[in-house]
Amino acid sequence: MSLETRIALVVGLLALAVAAGLIWRARTGLSKHVTSGEVIDLAEIGAVKNGQPVTKFGQKVTFLQFSSEFCTACRQTAKLYSELEQVHPEILHIEVDITNRVDLANKFNILQTPTTLVLDSRGRVTSRIGGAVKQQTIQDELGSFEI
Amino acid sequence: MSTSTKSTPAGIDPRGPRFGASITAALLLITVFLALDAATLGAAFGLLVFVTASFAIGAFLGNSKHPYGLIFKKLVRPRLAAPKELEDPRPPQFAQLIGLIVAGAGVVLYLVGLQGGLVYAAGAAFIAAFLNAAFAFCLGCQIYVGLQRIGLIKKF
Repeated sequence: MSLETRIALVVGLLALAVAAGLIWRARTGLSKHVTSGEVIDLAEIGAVKNGQPVTKFGQKVTFLQFSSEFCTACRQTAKLYSELEQVHPEILHIEVDITNRVDLANKFNILQTPTTLVLDSRGRVTSRIGGAVKQQTIQDELGSFEI
Repeated sequence: MSTSTKSTPAGIDPRGPRFGASITAALLLITVFLALDAATLGAAFGLLVFVTASFAIGAFLGNSKHPYGLIFKKLVRPRLAAPKELEDPRPPQFAQLIGLIVAGAGVVLYLVGLQGGLVYAAGAAFIAAFLNAAFAFCLGCQIYVGLQRIGLIKKF
């Protein structure tokens, strides 16, 4: 293969990787509206917070975050939600580790972690956030719940 | 706070694995370049064996034993400010394992005579390493649950 062709192929591969990265970064952490979402069963998902089973949803909104073991972005996202619920008592953040819960991954069709389901005060899914949540996404969600 | 019941190992500087990923990405891009010509295919194979070995160290012994991790610790980190936060070492270790499988597949394909497989394996591993280095892309976040759902990973 000629030197020119080899250089062109290598540059093309690099360009492909850059394009993939830019697309991924633009799309990750955005919120998708869910129409007629289901109501979450807290017992079924095994929601635990500070060692206690969670029995109530957040007063206005619940961020139900699905995480897994080999996931750096899950820690960062959990930190953002935790800080949020410190400031706003009407918000609840629940983190569920699905490393050993393939049933939940299948049920909610989770392909990546973190995946966050945004629940209204009755526990109904109103939107879904795939990937590490963006600050702007959080602001928009809070706005839609009048927080 | 977190509801994880497993104990979390001591945190590492998140810039360490990304530093290593940039070296790996550069080596893999050179591998692809060399693999595209019959005259340098042997050199490409040698380089891919080296990268595969470094993935094996990262996957089985962890980032602290990884040669790039050591370079980072000895030469790079002393020149940087302290990290804002530490990170769990398991996600980058999982990414090293995936790298080992992909790059290792290229080595095996070459050895059984399917030399064209080398360039695809090196190319795929390059994209993952590059995304990790340049965009903080976390492979474990993206594929672990999917692999588990299709039954490739079983955990009890």
